[in-house]
Amino acid sequence: MKDQHFVVIGNGPAGNEAALTLREHAEDARVTLISKETGGCYRPHLIPSFISGKFAEENLYVFSPSSYKELGIKYRSGQEVVEINLKTHEIFLDHREVINYDGLILSLGGKPRIPENLQVFSDLMLTLKTVHDAKVWTEALEKADTVLMIGGDLTSLSFTSQLIKMNKKVVFALNEEAFWPMRFSRELHDEVAEKLSKKGVTVLDYSRIKSMNNIPDGGVEVHTDHETVCADIVGAFFGLVPDVGFLATSGLKIDRGILVDEYLNTGFEGVYATGDCAQVYHPEINDYWVSIGYENAVALGKTAAFNLIGEKVKAEPECIFNIQGFCVNSSWWMEF
Amino acid sequence: MSDKIVYSTEPEDFYYMNVNIPCQSACPADTNIPSYIRALYEKEYDRSYDINRHVNVFPGVLGRICSRPCEDKCRHGESELGDPVNICHIKRAASDFKGASPIPLKKGESTAKKVAVIGAGPAGLAAAGELALLGFSVTVYEALDNPGGMLRYGIPEFRLPRNILDGEVKDILSMGVELRTGVKIGTDIQVGELLSKYHAVLTTTGCYRAIELKVPGEDKEGVHSGLEFMMRVCSGEKPALGARVLVIGAGFTAFDCARTALRLGAKDVRICLRRTEQDLRVTKDEILETKKEGVKIESLLLSQEIVGNGKVEGVKFLRTRTGEAGPDGKQKIIEIPDSEFILKADSVIVATGQAPGPFEAPGEKDKNGVLTVDKETFLTSEKNLYAAGDYVTGPTTVIESIAMGRKAAHKIAFDLTGTDFVEKTVRMQETSITDRQRSWDFIPRQEMPALSPVVKRINPDNPEVETGFTKDQAHDESKRCYLCYLHYEIDMDKCIYCRYCIDNAPRDCIKLVDEVELNELGAITGFKETTSWKHVNAIIIDNSRCIRCGECVRVCPMDCISVTRVELIERQKHMIGLQK
Repeated sequence: MKDQHFVVIGNGPAGNEAALTLREHAEDARVTLISKETGGCYRPHLIPSFISGKFAEENLYVFSPSSYKELGIKYRSGQEVVEINLKTHEIFLDHREVINYDGLILSLGGKPRIPENLQVFSDLMLTLKTVHDAKVWTEALEKADTVLMIGGDLTSLSFTSQLIKMNKKVVFALNEEAFWPMRFSRELHDEVAEKLSKKGVTVLDYSRIKSMNNIPDGGVEVHTDHETVCADIVGAFFGLVPDVGFLATSGLKIDRGILVDEYLNTGFEGVYATGDCAQVYHPEINDYWVSIGYENAVALGKTAAFNLIGEKVKAEPECIFNIQGFCVNSSWWMEF
Repeated sequence: MSDKIVYSTEPEDFYYMNVNIPCQSACPADTNIPSYIRALYEKEYDRSYDINRHVNVFPGVLGRICSRPCEDKCRHGESELGDPVNICHIKRAASDFKGASPIPLKKGESTAKKVAVIGAGPAGLAAAGELALLGFSVTVYEALDNPGGMLRYGIPEFRLPRNILDGEVKDILSMGVELRTGVKIGTDIQVGELLSKYHAVLTTTGCYRAIELKVPGEDKEGVHSGLEFMMRVCSGEKPALGARVLVIGAGFTAFDCARTALRLGAKDVRICLRRTEQDLRVTKDEILETKKEGVKIESLLLSQEIVGNGKVEGVKFLRTRTGEAGPDGKQKIIEIPDSEFILKADSVIVATGQAPGPFEAPGEKDKNGVLTVDKETFLTSEKNLYAAGDYVTGPTTVIESIAMGRKAAHKIAFDLTGTDFVEKTVRMQETSITDRQRSWDFIPRQEMPALSPVVKRINPDNPEVETGFTKDQAHDESKRCYLCYLHYEIDMDKCIYCRYCIDNAPRDCIKLVDEVELNELGAITGFKETTSWKHVNAIIIDNSRCIRCGECVRVCPMDCISVTRVELIERQKHMIGLQK
């Protein structure tokens, strides 16, 4: 490993864990962690609790930027990768700097997904992924009584619990696309709807959102094929879409995420993808899956790092969010 | 600055065009893209339309449904430069805003030669139009009731309104091209008879044989071929599909079938791909609009069997993964063992491809009864019998068919008269810098407005989904074009090596050069750069990096940077005569 340069792109739970594992097990190598965001690695699953005031902002962070320096990890925060050349092993940053690597782990995470048919209403909906998003929600909630949640991903369910604790009225438009990229069934819809109703949430019976518009005195009016609903805030919760647009011409195989084998290898020697951006086939569910949940992300980050340094570790998720088999035991789900 | 125009057919100049005007090089028809975009910027809509029409008789059609290979190569889309120019929709804007009667197409001086074209699809009509322009008498025979081929019977009206197609077909016919529809060759008239009546016969009968999936159960009730399904719908039928529809296929036809299925009342429509969405040849706009309408895309699936008791009830699939790239550059599809599962369906539409069908004509044929054709000369083994378009190549894009139809027309014209009617030429004319401003590089790409929300699309009027740019949007988008046909060059006899141009260039497009690398054609292929002044032999503008912002010209104190407008054009015989 001497003189080798391992680069991890993305500082979510998977990237952070990958960098720490590399540092621990490849002592002679240089380890660089590149992050588009500033502020260090945080626990995204705690963001709903941060909004409700249960956690202070500093408690969200796993690592402060200075900790990386102490560990001997070169941390480049606020730097965006715009291109990767997998043939020449070069990473291009938006400020035109070029970084060479010997081994690469892509843990690019995801960005909030809004289904194509609702994208035209994006400006009328809030999403929740980053600490910044959380602050926008906090400010908006100060003046809001009613929140309409559209979607139904794990964040939305966790967040709904917190909104109820904050005495907000929650209306839920449970959407079949919410569990993307997993398949959805009527049984699951009914199960989730029942759980929500028991908590005092109004669950809408609808099949299509026809349109949305601002109300002159504040708030948003949402027209479904069955009724019109008014809310002070509308949130879109359709899971995350891997943030891999800049890799479109890299040669990597991209479907719902970066396609990798069971060892998280992308098909390019020394290049791995992990966390929310990696798509792996899993024989137990006869389908591909993309990591959901903090524990999975950490486990996958470690796996990618071990494989990069020559181990042979299969990606085994800590817990599978198996909608088809109702094996719903993700940490977030259990919390709800 | 001189007004002198230089025409060149030197190989190094063609090489330059190929490298430096990537959009035009990528267009199968060699459309002069910078020129028509500039004309639109100048609000010369008729001229912009007409520049397109030099090589493409269907600008209004292609402005809607072109596969846009040009946009993939547009320099504005390079990683550090943003998004490609919306070239296709600027073409549509030229068509939308042209006058009611644009410059009429005019039949050329008569050659006293007659040509029959079999098939009124894009290749056939393009060939017919070109032959008429060159002075030939042309009759087009079409088996179906109306002209247009796949444009009319394969593309749904919500993507291509029929009045647009009809208008452009009418322009072709206005040159005296005779159209005989409802005439089946081999039944109503024989090719041999046509060969005896006409000096040449061109077959452009396209691909009207659907390729089967070749899995068990394909004969079950409720399984349709994409080709048959679209032809029925485009002829006015409304096939009953049920609520759940699976479309198997990855091309434009699959997407058209899926969106049409929604309009016929299906609630759950899924397009099933063997590969990934990334591998689709369909344009991004098409994918986006299809998803907006609620169609889902399922990737990495391989169909195994169509299941059901007499009537289709679903499709059994295997999961796939991608493997090593094969000789064609495509990654192999590998089945994942024991990964079977069934997706339920009330109807299945198989849109996995089309091929040419048997054709009753003299001449050598392959095992499928398809005429053997030399793709360079368009000739079959039968004298004066030519073939072009998808019939020869298999399914391609409309712009490829049009380009091939025209090339076949030129070959027929040459063979019948011994005259080269058109000559591909590089036209060079010194010019001044344009009013293009650096700030225009930061105008975001104008996306095509579409009917929204989606509920407005799915109604009995079947309205066109893409509503077209406003004049302002089209104008803004035209500003984004770098105008790559402008060639910037430093006159080293005047240059004082002040470096102002280098200091002001927005990217590394001006280079201190020790040596220039040339290829066997004499074209510049690269530079040996130097950082040492004592080795600088020239300061060169690298036109493959240049974004034609004009900053270098504006700051040059010695006025030593010239700008030449360099265009790949076709000159017709009489134009060449004028030059002489």
